[in-house]
Amino acid sequence: MQTRTSLEEIVGKNNVLDDPAVLDSYSSDLSFVPKVRPKWVVKPSSTVEVQEVIKWANATSTPLVPVSSGTPRFRGDTIPRTGGAVIVDLSGMKKIMRIDLISRVAMVEAGVTFAELQPELEKAGLSAYMPLCPKGSKSVLASMLEREPITMPAHHWDCSDPFLLGEYIFGTGDKMRSGEASGPETTEEKWKLGNYQMTPMAVSQFDENKLVSGAQGTMGIVTWASLKCRLISKFSRNFLVPSENIEPLLELSYQLLRGRIGDHLFIMNDLNLASLLARDPGEINALRETLPPWVLVVSFEGNGDLPEDKVAWQEADFREMATRSGGLKPASTIHGADADELSQILSRPSDDPYWKLRYKGGCSDIFFLTTLDKTPGFVSAMSGLAQSRRFSPRDIGVYIQPVVQGTSCHCEFNLFHEPANAAEADRVKWLVTEGSVNLANLGAFFSRPYGYWAKVAYSRATETAIMQRKLKKIFDPKDIMNPGQLCF
Amino acid sequence: MALTDREYQALEDIVGAENISREPAFLDTYNQCWGHKLVFDQKFSTRPAAVVLPGSTEELQAIAKICNKYRILFKPFSSGFEVVSFALANERGILLDLKRMDRIIEIDVKNMHAVVEPYVNIYRLQREAMKHGVTVGSLGAGPSAGVIAGSCCHFGAGTTMTSTGGLGRNVLGVEWVLPTGDVLTMGTAETGAGWFSADGPGPSLRGVLRGRSGANGGHGIITKASVKLYPWYGPPEVKFSEQPGLPASGKTLGEVPQGYKAFMILLPSTEVMFEALLRIGKAEIASCVMATGPAVLPYGEGNDEQWAEIQKMEAAGMVFEDLAFRSIVVLLGSDTSRGLEYREKYLLEIMRQLEGVSLPLTSQQGAVMFAGLMWHFGFVTMAFRRTGDFFVSPTSDGSPDIMLKMRNAAVELIQPYIDKGLVVNTGKVDLFLIPSENSTAGFHEENVTYYDPWDPDSLQAEREIIQKSEDPNGPFKSFGVPHLGGGLTIETVSHNHQRWGPIYDNYDMWLRQIKDMLDPNSVGDWSAYIPGVFP
Amino acid sequence: MALQDFEHDMQRCTRCSYCKWIPYENQQNMDFIKGCPSAARFNFHAYAASGKWNMSYSFLNGRIDYSDAFQDAVYKCLLCGSCDVSCKVIGDLEPLQHMHELRCKFVEDGEILPEHFVTIEGLKKEDNMLLAKKADRGNWAEGIAVKNLSKEKAKVAFRAGCRYSFDQELWPIVRGGLKLLIDAGVDVGIWGSEEVCCGGRAYSIGFAGELTKYAEHNLEALKAAGVETLVTPCADCYQHYKVHYDKIGKKPDVEILHFTEYLHRLIKEGTIKFTKEVPLTVTYHDPCHLGRLAEPWIHWKGKEVKVMGQTICHEPPKKFRRGANGVYDIPREILTSIPGVKLVEMYRTRESAWCCGAGAGVKEAYPDFANWTATERIKEAKSVNAKALVTACGWCRRNFIDAMEAGAEKMEVYDIIELVQKAI
Repeated sequence: MQTRTSLEEIVGKNNVLDDPAVLDSYSSDLSFVPKVRPKWVVKPSSTVEVQEVIKWANATSTPLVPVSSGTPRFRGDTIPRTGGAVIVDLSGMKKIMRIDLISRVAMVEAGVTFAELQPELEKAGLSAYMPLCPKGSKSVLASMLEREPITMPAHHWDCSDPFLLGEYIFGTGDKMRSGEASGPETTEEKWKLGNYQMTPMAVSQFDENKLVSGAQGTMGIVTWASLKCRLISKFSRNFLVPSENIEPLLELSYQLLRGRIGDHLFIMNDLNLASLLARDPGEINALRETLPPWVLVVSFEGNGDLPEDKVAWQEADFREMATRSGGLKPASTIHGADADELSQILSRPSDDPYWKLRYKGGCSDIFFLTTLDKTPGFVSAMSGLAQSRRFSPRDIGVYIQPVVQGTSCHCEFNLFHEPANAAEADRVKWLVTEGSVNLANLGAFFSRPYGYWAKVAYSRATETAIMQRKLKKIFDPKDIMNPGQLCF
Repeated sequence: MALTDREYQALEDIVGAENISREPAFLDTYNQCWGHKLVFDQKFSTRPAAVVLPGSTEELQAIAKICNKYRILFKPFSSGFEVVSFALANERGILLDLKRMDRIIEIDVKNMHAVVEPYVNIYRLQREAMKHGVTVGSLGAGPSAGVIAGSCCHFGAGTTMTSTGGLGRNVLGVEWVLPTGDVLTMGTAETGAGWFSADGPGPSLRGVLRGRSGANGGHGIITKASVKLYPWYGPPEVKFSEQPGLPASGKTLGEVPQGYKAFMILLPSTEVMFEALLRIGKAEIASCVMATGPAVLPYGEGNDEQWAEIQKMEAAGMVFEDLAFRSIVVLLGSDTSRGLEYREKYLLEIMRQLEGVSLPLTSQQGAVMFAGLMWHFGFVTMAFRRTGDFFVSPTSDGSPDIMLKMRNAAVELIQPYIDKGLVVNTGKVDLFLIPSENSTAGFHEENVTYYDPWDPDSLQAEREIIQKSEDPNGPFKSFGVPHLGGGLTIETVSHNHQRWGPIYDNYDMWLRQIKDMLDPNSVGDWSAYIPGVFP
Repeated sequence: MALQDFEHDMQRCTRCSYCKWIPYENQQNMDFIKGCPSAARFNFHAYAASGKWNMSYSFLNGRIDYSDAFQDAVYKCLLCGSCDVSCKVIGDLEPLQHMHELRCKFVEDGEILPEHFVTIEGLKKEDNMLLAKKADRGNWAEGIAVKNLSKEKAKVAFRAGCRYSFDQELWPIVRGGLKLLIDAGVDVGIWGSEEVCCGGRAYSIGFAGELTKYAEHNLEALKAAGVETLVTPCADCYQHYKVHYDKIGKKPDVEILHFTEYLHRLIKEGTIKFTKEVPLTVTYHDPCHLGRLAEPWIHWKGKEVKVMGQTICHEPPKKFRRGANGVYDIPREILTSIPGVKLVEMYRTRESAWCCGAGAGVKEAYPDFANWTATERIKEAKSVNAKALVTACGWCRRNFIDAMEAGAEKMEVYDIIELVQKAI
């Protein structure tokens, strides 16, 4: 137990866990990634401790798996792929280091969740750019590193937004602060100089921020990050645009995106909208029957110095665009769905139970990048695939989120199922794994290749895989950081 | 150090005899550029061993493989308008002039991206895109700058950064011939899904493509790139007015195009100017907003005409120093009149809060400003016509408050040289200052000096300014690694990575390893990048 | 000026490469934005004006010597002046004057292309650039009753120029031009077989002495004939008389007009009236020598001074010729005044016009390049849906015809004179 002792010396005896129940909770999640039990769980509380843990792992050739978010977990990226791994649970690093209203920047440690951050931001007059109703225990930093799409595409300038920069401990144990965070001063000293760590441009001629994004902890551990925030809305005008077919909504979306008009902007099908608004299966079923098949959710946030004027002109332009898009009729309420209520829901993490688990208790997602105009084809393909495996398309939620100011979109299918129903789970498993191959063949780009998707994605991206493996040898030469994930 | 006949023949076999030369007369047209006297103390940088004009990705791959086989250094460039384009670490190097690769492959209007080859210049893409109501962010080097050069390889700052971002944030896809001759196509382009994302699967390899600045040809050749497009609110075509006897340099659009409005605003102080940029960015109303900077002085038909005009304006009461120190220029644009009205109302509200004064602009002045801000017309004139050369230092990207500190430190450093007449007095120290991404990504700042490289005193003054602003132990150490660590500086001369790496989290250690990984035989010229091992 | 006198400018060429393109302010259709035929065709930077600066500077610094490659880049250049216009949008440099001086240096040192040698020997023997017999020079005017300026005086001298004098296919144009003047009652004469070359094309190749020789002769001839106005349909001659003679200190005392300028007067004063329709959609090609190169010469003597610290200015202020003051509007006004003619513009016009490909010794030494250049222009003319390409220079006209015979797309080509004749 000498190695455990040295680990305890780093993080403290109480922060090295080996209770079987605890280990079990990290050995699997709601994905179909095979269960592998870690050896220990360590809970560092500072950058220094994280760095020492990584150095320890190098010295002992111990795989590390970083985790920042709490349960339930869905993606499989925090399940060890090899035995003898140690979970590095950063959820205890909960410092909100700084909130800056003027710069619209916050700095958070890895364990800060949306549930913790959002109220603090609101006190300061800010709000987080959030993904769609994240679970309460979702780490803000992890969400950004995973490139989870935010619901406000006009503010999504680059794939990594709202992530700005951070502090990285690479697999070698070397620390690097990125971009504006780098330099001869400490982080706090920089604040005094007026350096608020808000510029996402890298230090020099490579971009360390891009190398950790989407890496699933395989390059190193990010201990803190700064992120863009938005001004809190004094009020908002919220709309639901119903449509029998998705195509007119795409047409309207393209117009809005081109002009960077609107804030929340995404498309959902009836099931997903109902799941967001209702609380239990009965309510969800009842609500979805009244909803149109497709809804575009749009909001105009009244913030800044002229909030009423801002909202007024954007709304007016929006209505003209809707008319041009096959006579669409935006509404504040549609058949029991209230846009203002939805806006409230979107302003905070999901209440419990997590919205995706309300309908059937279980949910597996398939998501990828494509362009908006291709989404109807994918919707159709997903439906066909589901039917081929006797999985009802009626149990598939659809969420289409434009990203990077509309240059592409995150296309997500939520396969709701009962976890206890083994046959159904098998069908879902097939769809999420081998079924995704069909989607990839149609052009789906699995930019966030969790679990089985790594095989799907990298078989089509061999040049990228070769390069990433070479990079891995630089930043994690001993391959201790989450080995077995991605293409490593 | 020249190529052997065999080596030369191997290259000629790839591109054909008409696309390669080792004639000394031709070679010396590839080693003379502005900035050389500053960096190399003469107009000439290293004479390349040959110049090659490849026509395709496949040819470039073959060339790279030959270079690896025979250990020949190579460097690609497109417009070739930078010091970094031609600097070679030694004479056993070839230059790859990408002039023949000039296709606009695709403009996807709906999904707002364009795919181009290296020799497509920014103005050409802007004009083609404008026909469809979209455009691409401007580049500081002006209309002739290469789209790929700006977004992937060199720098990529421009006047429209508040609404278009810059510095590599707009890259959605890349086809890259690595120094080994292998091809890496990033993201969705590799999978055949399209050219809409360069990120993934997994970590984004844009991380090795470039950082705040690019590799300046030091890690292979970018043969295709997809870049983001942005809304263009003006007409599909524009025409510069013609008047009998008016040379091209005097031509303007006549008026600001429909869909846009232009403003020049005087603020009470430099500090308030910074505040104004921050607030206008946050208001999310501007297509362009920046410190007036290079637009302070009239351009004039030539230097003599400019001087006459300046004297006339000063006699009429114009105080250029005020404009230089504390004024901004703004372009507002919108598809609808109500959108434009809102933006103007918000701008005026900010001005009211900050006691800014909107200066009257004639139609002509507005039109000149528009072309300058939207397409960088006039900037190249201002950079070079006065004296033949310019430099930017200190330069950085950062939070507004620290950029203000840097500005004040820059003025303190440079003003004495202006007062002594050693560099051009444009009012005060010239300033290129732009909020990025509606002020959510900090400010981009360049302090610009215009010096005469052929005047020993002026040259010496410029060298002192650079030396002091690029001293890692000096008062500028906290503002970021100086300008690109290889952008307008040449690493073989400045050794910036070696000097600054240790105080900036040892970034150089990673950069060297990346270079080594990409280029195991060290054939990608590192003059404006980094070597795998410092010599 | 000697080559060394351009060292200041050589040092200050920034390699912006604007010389390869028409000014960005003038760019309309992105398929037609190239300005320099040499750079467009041969790609290496040496073929651009900036490349010439570089080579000259390298030469002056002893880094290179004369070579075939050097000569190739120097002489595969039409001296069309597009680079000069573009460079001067952003700089106070003189690329065109420099490139010409570089040629003079080549000639001075005996680095002469064989084709040019033959042409110049012909010039020396027969006073023309077409390798034709001097005695045949007047044949184009056979049968036309007109004053002989060798023997008589006249107010207006009509000068044919070498191309029109010996190129029989073009005689209808030059004959037509003369007849227009005669029919308009102009007191006009010609020198016929006594006419000699203007010396301009030889000058453009680098034979400075020939220009001086012919300038002196021609000015004497003008004086002797009591001429007040010289009119020529040859844009080349026009430019050399008006600009280059002045440049070398031999400015003619008479008014020098291109034929279109004189024609314009006659139309304006009502002497020439159009009575017939010419239903034709045309586009007008600005000859370099009538357009940007015909801007009057500006003599300047002074010194460089620095203002605002380091900005390079001049005392007295130096006006640069930036190409805006050529003859652009008059030919267009003539065309649009012809009933039935619809004028559509190409994308590269006026001071940004793409060269026809015939100038500066290129047609003599590099006919393929001359044809290629003309072919590119014809493509542009076709792209604007013009039925006919109209010009005002015999060399342009000849080169367009030759290009079509060599395989360029066919279209009708006219001189303005021909269209005017059709309308009368």
